[in-house]
Amino acid sequence: MTRAAKDPWRGTGWQPFAWIRDHARISSESINFISTRIGTSFLVWLVVGIALALPAGLWILQINMEAMSQGWEGRPGLSVYFVTDASQEDIDVVAQVLEGNTDIASVALTTADQALTQFKEYSGLGDALDLLGENPLPASLTARFADRIDPLAVDNLVASLSQLAGVSEVVVEKTWLERLNDLSAVISRMGLVLAIMFGVGAVLVTASSVRLAIESRLDELRVLKMVGATQGQIRRPFLYFGAIYGFGGGVIAAMLIAFTLVVIEPPLQSLLGSYRQELQLAGFNMLFLLLILTIGCFLGVLGALLAVRQRLKHLELF
Amino acid sequence: MGHIEFQHVTKRFENGYEALSDVSVEFAEGSMSFLTGHSGAGKSTFLKLLLRAEMPSRGRLLVNGVDIVQLPDKRLPRYRQNLGVVFQDHHLLAQRSVFENVALPLRVTGMREREVGRRVRAALTRVELLGKENLFPRHLSTGEQQRVGIARAVVTRPKILLADEPTGNLDPDLSTHIMDLFARFNQVGTTVIVASHDVPLIESMGLRILHLQAGRVIEDLPATRSIEEVTGLTLEVPQEADS
Repeated sequence: MTRAAKDPWRGTGWQPFAWIRDHARISSESINFISTRIGTSFLVWLVVGIALALPAGLWILQINMEAMSQGWEGRPGLSVYFVTDASQEDIDVVAQVLEGNTDIASVALTTADQALTQFKEYSGLGDALDLLGENPLPASLTARFADRIDPLAVDNLVASLSQLAGVSEVVVEKTWLERLNDLSAVISRMGLVLAIMFGVGAVLVTASSVRLAIESRLDELRVLKMVGATQGQIRRPFLYFGAIYGFGGGVIAAMLIAFTLVVIEPPLQSLLGSYRQELQLAGFNMLFLLLILTIGCFLGVLGALLAVRQRLKHLELF
Repeated sequence: MGHIEFQHVTKRFENGYEALSDVSVEFAEGSMSFLTGHSGAGKSTFLKLLLRAEMPSRGRLLVNGVDIVQLPDKRLPRYRQNLGVVFQDHHLLAQRSVFENVALPLRVTGMREREVGRRVRAALTRVELLGKENLFPRHLSTGEQQRVGIARAVVTRPKILLADEPTGNLDPDLSTHIMDLFARFNQVGTTVIVASHDVPLIESMGLRILHLQAGRVIEDLPATRSIEEVTGLTLEVPQEADS
Protein backbone atom coordinates (compact mmCIF):
# COMPACT_ATOMS: atom_id res chain seq x y z
CA MET A 1 0.00 0.00 0.00
CA THR A 2 1.42 3.40 -0.97
CA ARG A 3 1.78 6.16 1.59
CA ALA A 4 -0.94 8.18 -0.14
CA ALA A 5 -3.32 5.24 0.01
CA LYS A 6 -2.45 4.63 3.64
CA ASP A 7 -2.96 8.24 4.60
CA PRO A 8 -4.98 9.95 1.88
CA TRP A 9 -5.21 13.22 3.84
CA ARG A 10 -1.55 13.84 4.28
CA GLY A 11 -0.86 17.50 3.49
CA THR A 12 0.77 18.45 0.24
CA GLY A 13 3.37 20.48 2.10
CA TRP A 14 4.00 24.19 1.87
CA GLN A 15 3.03 25.59 -1.51
CA PRO A 16 4.70 29.00 -1.78
CA PHE A 17 2.64 30.33 -4.68
CA ALA A 18 -0.63 29.28 -3.08
CA TRP A 19 0.55 30.84 0.18
CA ILE A 20 1.40 34.12 -1.53
CA ARG A 21 -1.93 34.12 -3.39
CA ASP A 22 -3.77 33.53 -0.14
CA HIS A 23 -1.90 36.37 1.59
CA ALA A 24 -2.55 38.74 -1.31
CA ARG A 25 -6.27 37.94 -1.29
CA ILE A 26 -6.61 38.11 2.50
CA SER A 27 -4.69 41.40 2.78
CA SER A 28 -6.91 42.95 0.14
CA GLU A 29 -10.05 41.65 1.88
CA SER A 30 -8.80 42.89 5.24
CA ILE A 31 -8.15 46.39 3.93
CA ASN A 32 -11.60 46.34 2.38
CA PHE A 33 -13.18 45.12 5.63
CA ILE A 34 -11.50 47.85 7.66
CA SER A 35 -12.24 50.57 5.12
CA THR A 36 -15.95 49.77 5.34
CA ARG A 37 -15.74 50.34 9.10
CA ILE A 38 -13.52 53.38 8.96
CA GLY A 39 -15.12 55.15 11.94
CA THR A 40 -14.54 52.26 14.33
CA SER A 41 -11.13 51.61 12.83
CA PHE A 42 -10.12 55.24 13.31
CA LEU A 43 -11.01 55.07 17.00
CA VAL A 44 -8.82 51.97 17.36
CA TRP A 45 -5.98 53.71 15.52
CA LEU A 46 -6.35 56.73 17.79
CA VAL A 47 -6.24 54.70 20.98
CA VAL A 48 -3.28 52.60 19.79
CA GLY A 49 -1.63 55.79 18.49
CA ILE A 50 -1.90 57.54 21.86
CA ALA A 51 -0.60 54.43 23.59
CA LEU A 52 2.43 54.42 21.29
CA ALA A 53 2.95 58.18 21.23
CA LEU A 54 3.48 58.63 24.95
CA PRO A 55 6.46 56.31 25.43
CA ALA A 56 7.83 57.17 21.99
CA GLY A 57 7.57 60.87 22.79
CA LEU A 58 9.40 60.35 26.07
CA TRP A 59 12.08 58.44 24.21
CA ILE A 60 12.51 61.36 21.80
CA LEU A 61 12.73 63.72 24.77
CA GLN A 62 15.29 61.56 26.49
CA ILE A 63 17.61 61.19 23.51
CA ASN A 64 17.41 64.94 22.90
CA MET A 65 18.37 65.62 26.51
CA GLU A 66 21.30 63.26 26.11
CA ALA A 67 22.33 64.95 22.89
CA MET A 68 22.02 68.32 24.58
CA SER A 69 24.16 67.32 27.52
CA GLN A 70 26.81 65.86 25.21
CA GLY A 71 26.96 69.05 23.16
CA TRP A 72 27.24 71.30 26.22
CA GLU A 73 30.74 72.51 26.89
CA GLY A 74 30.20 73.40 30.53
CA ARG A 75 31.15 70.74 33.02
CA PRO A 76 30.75 70.40 36.76
CA GLY A 77 33.63 71.55 38.89
CA LEU A 78 34.59 73.04 42.23
CA SER A 79 35.32 76.43 43.74
CA VAL A 80 38.01 77.09 46.32
CA TYR A 81 37.28 80.14 48.50
CA PHE A 82 40.18 81.67 50.35
CA VAL A 83 40.20 83.49 53.64
CA THR A 84 40.17 87.26 53.13
CA ASP A 85 43.76 87.65 54.27
CA ALA A 86 45.13 84.78 52.16
CA SER A 87 48.45 85.60 50.56
CA GLN A 88 49.16 85.44 46.84
CA GLU A 89 51.56 82.59 47.67
CA ASP A 90 48.69 80.56 49.26
CA ILE A 91 46.59 81.13 46.17
CA ASP A 92 49.44 80.11 43.85
CA VAL A 93 50.02 76.88 45.81
CA VAL A 94 46.36 75.87 45.51
CA ALA A 95 46.32 76.83 41.82
CA GLN A 96 49.41 74.67 41.21
CA VAL A 97 47.82 71.72 43.03
CA LEU A 98 44.73 72.01 40.88
CA GLU A 99 46.61 72.46 37.61
CA GLY A 100 48.73 69.45 38.45
CA ASN A 101 45.70 67.23 38.92
CA THR A 102 44.70 65.19 35.84
CA ASP A 103 41.01 65.24 36.84
CA ILE A 104 40.97 69.03 36.44
CA ALA A 105 40.47 70.42 32.96
CA SER A 106 40.86 74.13 33.67
CA VAL A 107 41.46 76.54 36.54
CA ALA A 108 40.40 80.20 36.69
CA LEU A 109 41.22 82.76 39.36
CA THR A 110 38.79 85.39 40.59
CA THR A 111 40.63 87.89 42.69
CA ALA A 112 39.02 89.59 45.65
CA ASP A 113 38.74 92.81 43.62
CA GLN A 114 37.13 91.03 40.68
CA ALA A 115 34.70 89.31 43.05
CA LEU A 116 33.73 92.66 44.50
CA THR A 117 33.23 94.20 41.07
CA GLN A 118 31.04 91.31 39.95
CA PHE A 119 29.05 91.39 43.18
CA LYS A 120 28.44 95.12 42.81
CA GLU A 121 27.37 94.63 39.25
CA TYR A 122 24.88 91.82 39.90
CA SER A 123 23.62 92.66 43.38
CA GLY A 124 22.96 96.40 43.00
CA LEU A 125 24.46 96.90 46.47
CA GLY A 126 27.47 98.86 45.25
CA ASP A 127 26.82 101.95 47.42
CA ALA A 128 26.39 99.88 50.56
CA LEU A 129 29.60 98.01 49.89
CA ASP A 130 31.46 101.28 49.40
CA LEU A 131 30.51 102.20 52.97
CA LEU A 132 32.41 99.17 54.33
CA GLY A 133 35.74 100.65 53.38
CA GLU A 134 37.48 97.36 52.79
CA ASN A 135 36.68 94.44 50.49
CA PRO A 136 34.81 91.71 52.47
CA LEU A 137 34.98 89.18 49.65
CA PRO A 138 37.74 86.58 49.31
CA ALA A 139 39.61 85.53 46.18
CA SER A 140 38.55 82.20 44.71
CA LEU A 141 39.68 79.60 42.22
CA THR A 142 37.15 77.91 39.94
CA ALA A 143 38.16 74.53 38.52
CA ARG A 144 36.31 72.48 35.90
CA PHE A 145 36.47 68.70 36.02
CA ALA A 146 37.65 66.60 33.16
CA ASP A 147 35.11 64.44 31.23
CA ARG A 148 34.79 61.53 33.60
CA ILE A 149 35.76 61.88 37.20
CA ASP A 150 35.43 59.39 39.96
CA PRO A 151 33.34 60.80 42.86
CA LEU A 152 35.93 59.32 45.27
CA ALA A 153 38.70 61.29 43.55
CA VAL A 154 36.60 64.46 44.00
CA ASP A 155 36.24 63.72 47.71
CA ASN A 156 40.00 63.16 48.07
CA LEU A 157 40.80 66.34 46.18
CA VAL A 158 38.37 68.38 48.32
CA ALA A 159 39.92 66.93 51.48
CA SER A 160 43.49 67.72 50.39
CA LEU A 161 42.59 71.24 49.23
CA SER A 162 40.86 71.97 52.52
CA GLN A 163 44.14 71.25 54.34
CA LEU A 164 46.10 73.87 52.42
CA ALA A 165 46.99 77.23 53.94
CA GLY A 166 44.62 80.14 53.22
CA VAL A 167 41.75 77.91 52.10
CA SER A 168 38.44 78.80 53.75
CA GLU A 169 36.01 76.51 51.93
CA VAL A 170 35.91 74.12 49.00
CA VAL A 171 32.52 73.82 47.27
CA VAL A 172 31.77 71.11 44.70
CA GLU A 173 29.36 72.43 42.11
CA LYS A 174 26.55 70.34 40.77
CA THR A 175 25.70 72.08 37.54
CA TRP A 176 22.37 72.17 35.75
CA LEU A 177 23.92 69.70 33.37
CA GLU A 178 24.19 67.08 36.06
CA ARG A 179 20.60 67.72 36.95
CA LEU A 180 19.71 67.38 33.29
CA ASN A 181 21.46 64.03 33.18
CA ASP A 182 19.60 62.89 36.28
CA LEU A 183 16.33 64.04 34.76
CA SER A 184 17.21 62.25 31.53
CA ALA A 185 17.76 59.04 33.50
CA VAL A 186 14.40 59.48 35.23
CA ILE A 187 12.66 60.07 31.90
CA SER A 188 14.43 57.06 30.39
CA ARG A 189 13.16 54.76 33.10
CA MET A 190 9.74 56.33 33.12
CA GLY A 191 9.62 55.86 29.34
CA LEU A 192 10.45 52.19 29.73
CA VAL A 193 7.73 51.66 32.32
CA LEU A 194 5.23 53.61 30.22
CA ALA A 195 6.28 51.71 27.09
CA ILE A 196 5.47 48.42 28.81
CA MET A 197 2.19 49.70 30.28
CA PHE A 198 0.96 51.37 27.11
CA GLY A 199 2.28 48.51 24.97
CA VAL A 200 0.10 46.12 26.96
CA GLY A 201 -2.74 48.62 26.54
CA ALA A 202 -2.24 48.69 22.76
CA VAL A 203 -2.22 44.90 22.64
CA LEU A 204 -5.45 44.69 24.65
CA VAL A 205 -7.20 47.36 22.56
CA THR A 206 -6.25 45.54 19.37
CA ALA A 207 -7.23 42.21 20.88
CA SER A 208 -10.67 43.48 21.81
CA SER A 209 -11.20 45.05 18.36
CA VAL A 210 -10.10 41.85 16.62
CA ARG A 211 -12.34 39.87 18.94
CA LEU A 212 -15.29 41.96 17.77
CA ALA A 213 -14.28 41.30 14.16
CA ILE A 214 -14.13 37.57 14.89
CA GLU A 215 -17.59 37.62 16.49
CA SER A 216 -19.01 39.41 13.45
CA ARG A 217 -17.59 36.75 11.13
CA LEU A 218 -18.22 33.56 13.09
CA ASP A 219 -20.50 32.10 10.43
CA GLU A 220 -17.86 32.64 7.78
CA LEU A 221 -15.22 31.03 9.99
CA ARG A 222 -17.42 28.00 10.55
CA VAL A 223 -17.95 27.65 6.81
CA LEU A 224 -14.21 28.00 6.24
CA LYS A 225 -13.51 25.32 8.81
CA MET A 226 -16.14 23.07 7.26
CA VAL A 227 -14.66 23.37 3.77
CA GLY A 228 -11.20 22.50 5.02
CA ALA A 229 -9.43 25.76 5.77
CA THR A 230 -6.38 25.33 7.96
CA GLN A 231 -6.04 27.10 11.31
CA GLY A 232 -3.55 29.43 9.64
CA GLN A 233 -6.03 30.34 6.93
CA ILE A 234 -8.79 30.92 9.47
CA ARG A 235 -6.73 33.22 11.66
CA ARG A 236 -4.88 35.00 8.82
CA PRO A 237 -7.46 37.77 8.20
CA PHE A 238 -7.46 38.66 11.87
CA LEU A 239 -3.69 38.87 12.02
CA TYR A 240 -3.95 41.29 9.11
CA PHE A 241 -6.54 43.28 11.06
CA GLY A 242 -4.14 43.43 14.00
CA ALA A 243 -1.28 44.52 11.75
CA ILE A 244 -3.41 47.20 10.10
CA TYR A 245 -4.69 48.47 13.44
CA GLY A 246 -1.12 48.57 14.76
CA PHE A 247 0.24 50.21 11.62
CA GLY A 248 -2.51 52.84 11.70
CA GLY A 249 -1.76 53.38 15.39
CA GLY A 250 1.90 53.89 14.50
CA VAL A 251 0.98 56.50 11.88
CA ILE A 252 -1.24 58.33 14.39
CA ALA A 253 1.54 58.17 17.01
CA ALA A 254 4.06 59.67 14.56
CA MET A 255 1.59 62.43 13.70
CA LEU A 256 0.93 63.17 17.37
CA ILE A 257 4.64 63.38 18.13
CA ALA A 258 5.28 65.59 15.10
CA PHE A 259 2.44 67.85 16.19
CA THR A 260 3.79 68.03 19.74
CA LEU A 261 7.27 68.90 18.47
CA VAL A 262 5.85 71.70 16.34
CA VAL A 263 3.91 73.05 19.31
CA ILE A 264 6.84 73.01 21.76
CA GLU A 265 9.48 74.21 19.30
CA PRO A 266 9.21 78.01 19.93
CA PRO A 267 9.39 77.90 23.75
CA LEU A 268 12.10 75.23 23.61
CA GLN A 269 14.11 77.37 21.20
CA SER A 270 13.76 80.27 23.59
CA LEU A 271 14.80 78.17 26.59
CA LEU A 272 17.87 76.76 24.85
CA GLY A 273 18.77 80.20 23.53
CA SER A 274 19.15 81.39 27.12
CA TYR A 275 21.83 78.68 27.52
CA ARG A 276 23.37 79.67 24.19
CA GLN A 277 22.26 76.35 22.70
CA GLU A 278 20.70 75.83 19.30
CA LEU A 279 17.61 73.68 18.92
CA GLN A 280 18.52 70.58 16.99
CA LEU A 281 15.86 67.96 17.54
CA ALA A 282 17.27 64.46 17.32
CA GLY A 283 15.48 61.13 17.02
CA PHE A 284 12.48 62.05 14.89
CA ASN A 285 13.79 60.65 11.65
CA MET A 286 13.05 57.95 9.10
CA LEU A 287 14.46 55.23 11.35
CA PHE A 288 12.18 56.36 14.16
CA LEU A 289 9.17 56.29 11.85
CA LEU A 290 10.05 52.80 10.65
CA LEU A 291 10.55 51.69 14.23
CA ILE A 292 7.26 53.05 15.51
CA LEU A 293 5.36 51.54 12.55
CA THR A 294 7.07 48.18 13.08
CA ILE A 295 6.37 48.22 16.80
CA GLY A 296 2.77 49.22 16.06
CA CYS A 297 2.37 46.29 13.66
CA PHE A 298 4.03 43.91 16.09
CA LEU A 299 1.79 44.92 18.98
CA GLY A 300 -1.25 44.75 16.71
CA VAL A 301 -0.42 41.24 15.56
CA LEU A 302 0.26 40.24 19.16
CA GLY A 303 -3.19 41.51 20.19
CA ALA A 304 -4.78 39.71 17.24
CA LEU A 305 -3.01 36.48 18.15
CA LEU A 306 -4.32 36.80 21.69
CA ALA A 307 -7.90 37.26 20.45
CA VAL A 308 -7.63 34.50 17.86
CA ARG A 309 -6.16 32.09 20.35
CA GLN A 310 -8.92 32.77 22.84
CA ARG A 311 -11.83 32.67 20.44
CA LEU A 312 -10.93 30.28 17.65
CA LYS A 313 -9.29 27.51 19.62
CA HIS A 314 -12.55 25.70 20.20
CA LEU A 315 -14.62 27.04 17.32
CA GLU A 316 -17.37 24.50 16.72
CA LEU A 317 -18.90 23.71 13.38
CA PHE A 318 -22.64 24.04 12.86
CA MET B 1 -11.86 7.19 -2.19
CA GLY B 2 -15.36 7.34 -0.79
CA HIS B 3 -15.73 4.09 1.12
CA ILE B 4 -17.23 4.65 4.55
CA GLU B 5 -17.59 2.23 7.43
CA PHE B 6 -19.04 2.78 10.90
CA GLN B 7 -17.83 0.08 13.31
CA HIS B 8 -19.82 -0.10 16.57
CA VAL B 9 -20.01 3.68 16.76
CA THR B 10 -21.64 5.21 19.82
CA LYS B 11 -22.00 8.91 20.47
CA ARG B 12 -22.93 9.95 23.97
CA PHE B 13 -23.02 13.65 24.81
CA GLU B 14 -21.79 15.14 28.08
CA ASN B 15 -25.33 15.41 29.39
CA GLY B 16 -25.67 11.62 29.03
CA TYR B 17 -27.86 11.70 25.91
CA GLU B 18 -26.93 8.91 23.52
CA ALA B 19 -27.45 10.12 19.95
CA LEU B 20 -26.02 6.98 18.31
CA SER B 21 -25.81 3.54 19.87
CA ASP B 22 -23.49 0.86 18.57
CA VAL B 23 -24.02 1.69 14.90
CA SER B 24 -22.25 -0.54 12.39
CA VAL B 25 -22.90 0.24 8.77
CA GLU B 26 -20.98 0.42 5.52
CA PHE B 27 -21.29 2.62 2.44
CA ALA B 28 -19.64 1.48 -0.75
CA GLU B 29 -17.58 3.90 -2.75
CA GLY B 30 -19.77 5.73 -5.25
CA SER B 31 -23.01 4.71 -3.56
CA MET B 32 -25.97 6.92 -2.72
CA SER B 33 -27.93 6.34 0.48
CA PHE B 34 -30.57 8.05 2.54
CA LEU B 35 -30.74 8.32 6.31
CA THR B 36 -34.21 8.76 7.63
CA GLY B 37 -35.97 8.84 10.96
CA HIS B 38 -37.76 11.27 13.24
CA SER B 39 -36.13 14.31 14.80
CA GLY B 40 -33.60 13.18 17.37
CA ALA B 41 -33.13 9.80 15.68
CA GLY B 42 -29.43 10.56 15.20
CA LYS B 43 -29.30 11.55 11.51
CA SER B 44 -27.46 14.85 12.03
CA THR B 45 -25.09 13.31 14.55
CA PHE B 46 -24.33 10.59 12.01
CA LEU B 47 -23.28 13.21 9.46
CA LYS B 48 -21.43 15.36 12.02
CA LEU B 49 -19.32 12.36 12.95
CA LEU B 50 -18.37 11.94 9.31
CA LEU B 51 -17.50 15.62 9.10
CA ARG B 52 -15.64 15.18 12.37
CA ALA B 53 -17.55 18.04 13.86
CA GLU B 54 -18.22 15.56 16.66
CA MET B 55 -16.12 12.69 17.93
CA PRO B 56 -17.64 9.30 18.69
CA SER B 57 -17.58 8.12 22.28
CA ARG B 58 -16.82 4.60 21.13
CA GLY B 59 -16.13 2.72 17.93
CA ARG B 60 -14.23 3.28 14.73
CA LEU B 61 -15.18 5.39 11.76
CA LEU B 62 -13.28 4.36 8.68
CA VAL B 63 -13.17 6.47 5.57
CA ASN B 64 -11.28 4.75 2.83
CA GLY B 65 -9.76 2.48 5.44
CA VAL B 66 -8.47 5.30 7.66
CA ASP B 67 -10.01 5.77 11.10
CA ILE B 68 -10.86 9.46 11.03
CA VAL B 69 -11.29 9.46 14.80
CA GLN B 70 -7.54 9.02 15.03
CA LEU B 71 -6.80 11.61 12.36
CA PRO B 72 -4.50 14.31 13.80
CA ASP B 73 -6.02 17.81 13.84
CA LYS B 74 -3.48 19.08 11.35
CA ARG B 75 -4.71 16.56 8.73
CA LEU B 76 -8.35 17.43 9.30
CA PRO B 77 -8.45 20.32 6.78
CA ARG B 78 -7.19 18.07 4.03
CA TYR B 79 -9.80 15.45 4.94
CA ARG B 80 -12.59 18.03 4.93
CA GLN B 81 -11.45 19.33 1.54
CA ASN B 82 -12.57 15.95 0.20
CA LEU B 83 -16.06 16.30 1.67
CA GLY B 84 -18.97 18.31 0.37
CA VAL B 85 -21.60 19.31 2.90
CA VAL B 86 -25.07 20.71 2.32
CA PHE B 87 -27.29 21.99 5.13
CA GLN B 88 -30.97 22.70 5.33
CA ASP B 89 -30.32 26.38 6.06
CA HIS B 90 -27.53 26.68 3.48
CA HIS B 91 -25.05 28.58 5.67
CA LEU B 92 -24.30 30.92 2.82
CA LEU B 93 -22.36 34.08 3.61
CA ALA B 94 -24.75 36.99 3.23
CA GLN B 95 -22.03 39.57 2.53
CA ARG B 96 -20.50 37.57 -0.29
CA SER B 97 -21.78 37.11 -3.79
CA VAL B 98 -22.88 33.76 -5.17
CA PHE B 99 -19.53 33.45 -6.93
CA GLU B 100 -17.59 34.19 -3.74
CA ASN B 101 -19.66 31.71 -1.74
CA VAL B 102 -19.05 28.93 -4.22
CA ALA B 103 -15.38 29.84 -4.65
CA LEU B 104 -14.65 29.60 -0.91
CA PRO B 105 -13.73 25.87 -0.79
CA LEU B 106 -11.47 26.27 -3.83
CA ARG B 107 -9.68 29.27 -2.38
CA VAL B 108 -8.67 27.36 0.75
CA THR B 109 -6.93 24.83 -1.49
CA GLY B 110 -4.79 27.64 -2.93
CA MET B 111 -6.13 27.21 -6.45
CA ARG B 112 -5.27 29.76 -9.13
CA GLU B 113 -7.93 32.40 -9.74
CA ARG B 114 -8.41 31.41 -13.36
CA GLU B 115 -9.08 27.80 -12.35
CA VAL B 116 -11.34 28.98 -9.51
CA GLY B 117 -13.44 30.95 -11.97
CA ARG B 118 -13.68 28.01 -14.34
CA ARG B 119 -14.70 25.57 -11.61
CA VAL B 120 -17.23 27.94 -10.04
CA ARG B 121 -18.91 28.58 -13.38
CA ALA B 122 -19.00 24.82 -14.03
CA ALA B 123 -20.59 24.16 -10.64
CA LEU B 124 -23.13 26.95 -11.12
CA THR B 125 -23.98 25.56 -14.53
CA ARG B 126 -24.71 22.18 -12.99
CA VAL B 127 -27.13 23.72 -10.50
CA GLU B 128 -28.57 25.97 -13.23
CA LEU B 129 -27.49 29.24 -11.64
CA LEU B 130 -24.99 30.48 -14.17
CA GLY B 131 -25.65 34.16 -14.75
CA LYS B 132 -26.49 34.77 -11.08
CA GLU B 133 -22.93 34.63 -9.80
CA ASN B 134 -22.80 38.34 -9.00
CA LEU B 135 -26.00 38.34 -6.97
CA PHE B 136 -26.02 38.07 -3.21
CA PRO B 137 -27.86 35.28 -1.37
CA ARG B 138 -30.59 37.70 -0.24
CA HIS B 139 -31.48 38.26 -3.90
CA LEU B 140 -32.19 34.55 -4.44
CA SER B 141 -35.19 32.35 -3.69
CA THR B 142 -34.87 29.62 -1.05
CA GLY B 143 -34.50 26.97 -3.74
CA GLU B 144 -31.78 28.98 -5.48
CA GLN B 145 -29.98 29.50 -2.19
CA GLN B 146 -30.05 25.77 -1.62
CA ARG B 147 -28.60 25.20 -5.08
CA VAL B 148 -25.80 27.67 -4.31
CA GLY B 149 -25.12 25.61 -1.19
CA ILE B 150 -24.97 22.49 -3.34
CA ALA B 151 -22.68 24.18 -5.86
CA ARG B 152 -20.37 25.14 -2.99
CA ALA B 153 -20.42 21.52 -1.77
CA VAL B 154 -19.58 19.99 -5.13
CA VAL B 155 -17.24 22.62 -6.59
CA THR B 156 -14.17 20.82 -5.26
CA ARG B 157 -15.41 17.53 -6.79
CA PRO B 158 -15.52 15.88 -3.36
CA LYS B 159 -15.28 12.15 -2.90
CA ILE B 160 -18.08 12.23 -0.36
CA LEU B 161 -21.16 14.44 -0.35
CA LEU B 162 -23.16 14.79 2.88
CA ALA B 163 -26.51 16.52 2.99
CA ASP B 164 -28.49 17.25 6.14
CA GLU B 165 -32.18 17.83 5.38
CA PRO B 166 -31.38 19.58 2.09
CA THR B 167 -35.04 19.78 1.09
CA GLY B 168 -36.41 20.78 4.47
CA ASN B 169 -37.55 24.24 3.37
CA LEU B 170 -38.49 23.42 -0.20
CA ASP B 171 -41.72 22.59 -1.99
CA PRO B 172 -42.12 19.08 -3.48
CA ASP B 173 -41.07 20.06 -7.02
CA LEU B 174 -37.92 21.77 -5.85
CA SER B 175 -37.19 18.90 -3.46
CA THR B 176 -37.34 16.42 -6.33
CA HIS B 177 -35.07 18.66 -8.38
CA ILE B 178 -32.52 18.86 -5.55
CA MET B 179 -32.57 15.09 -5.07
CA ASP B 180 -32.08 14.66 -8.77
CA LEU B 181 -28.99 16.88 -8.55
CA PHE B 182 -27.54 14.68 -5.80
CA ALA B 183 -28.22 11.60 -7.92
CA ARG B 184 -26.36 13.18 -10.84
CA PHE B 185 -23.34 13.91 -8.64
CA ASN B 186 -23.47 10.34 -7.40
CA GLN B 187 -23.46 9.17 -10.97
CA VAL B 188 -19.98 10.60 -11.47
CA GLY B 189 -18.59 8.54 -8.59
CA THR B 190 -19.27 10.67 -5.51
CA THR B 191 -20.46 8.79 -2.43
CA VAL B 192 -23.65 10.57 -1.37
CA ILE B 193 -25.39 10.34 2.00
CA VAL B 194 -28.55 12.37 2.44
CA ALA B 195 -30.33 12.74 5.78
CA SER B 196 -33.99 13.50 5.29
CA HIS B 197 -37.27 12.90 7.04
CA ASP B 198 -39.18 13.28 3.76
CA VAL B 199 -39.96 9.56 3.52
CA PRO B 200 -42.26 9.67 0.47
CA LEU B 201 -39.64 11.55 -1.53
CA ILE B 202 -36.76 9.26 -0.67
CA GLU B 203 -38.84 6.15 -1.14
CA SER B 204 -39.74 7.39 -4.61
CA MET B 205 -36.03 7.46 -5.47
CA GLY B 206 -35.67 3.71 -4.95
CA LEU B 207 -32.17 3.98 -3.48
CA ARG B 208 -30.76 2.56 -0.26
CA ILE B 209 -32.50 3.80 2.89
CA LEU B 210 -31.19 3.49 6.44
CA HIS B 211 -33.87 4.00 9.03
CA LEU B 212 -32.61 5.40 12.33
CA GLN B 213 -34.55 5.33 15.55
CA ALA B 214 -33.25 6.44 18.93
CA GLY B 215 -29.71 6.29 17.67
CA ARG B 216 -29.92 2.79 16.21
CA VAL B 217 -30.20 1.56 12.63
CA ILE B 218 -33.46 -0.34 12.73
CA GLU B 219 -33.81 -0.92 9.01
CA ASP B 220 -31.41 -1.02 6.07
CA LEU B 221 -33.36 -1.17 2.82
CA PRO B 222 -31.27 -1.89 -0.26
CA ALA B 223 -31.67 0.06 -3.50
CA THR B 224 -34.38 -1.14 -5.85
CA ARG B 225 -33.20 0.95 -8.79
CA SER B 226 -29.87 1.79 -10.32
CA ILE B 227 -28.68 5.40 -10.29
CA GLU B 228 -29.06 5.50 -14.07
CA GLU B 229 -32.70 4.64 -13.65
CA VAL B 230 -33.08 7.40 -11.09
CA THR B 231 -31.49 10.09 -13.20
CA GLY B 232 -32.70 8.74 -16.49
CA LEU B 233 -29.21 9.31 -17.81
CA THR B 234 -26.35 7.05 -18.70
CA LEU B 235 -23.23 9.08 -18.20
CA GLU B 236 -19.72 8.35 -19.17
CA VAL B 237 -17.80 9.17 -16.04
CA PRO B 238 -15.11 11.70 -16.94
CA GLN B 239 -11.63 10.78 -15.85
CA GLU B 240 -10.55 13.86 -13.93
CA ALA B 241 -7.31 14.43 -12.21
CA ASP B 242 -7.54 14.85 -8.45
CA SER B 243 -7.79 18.46 -7.45
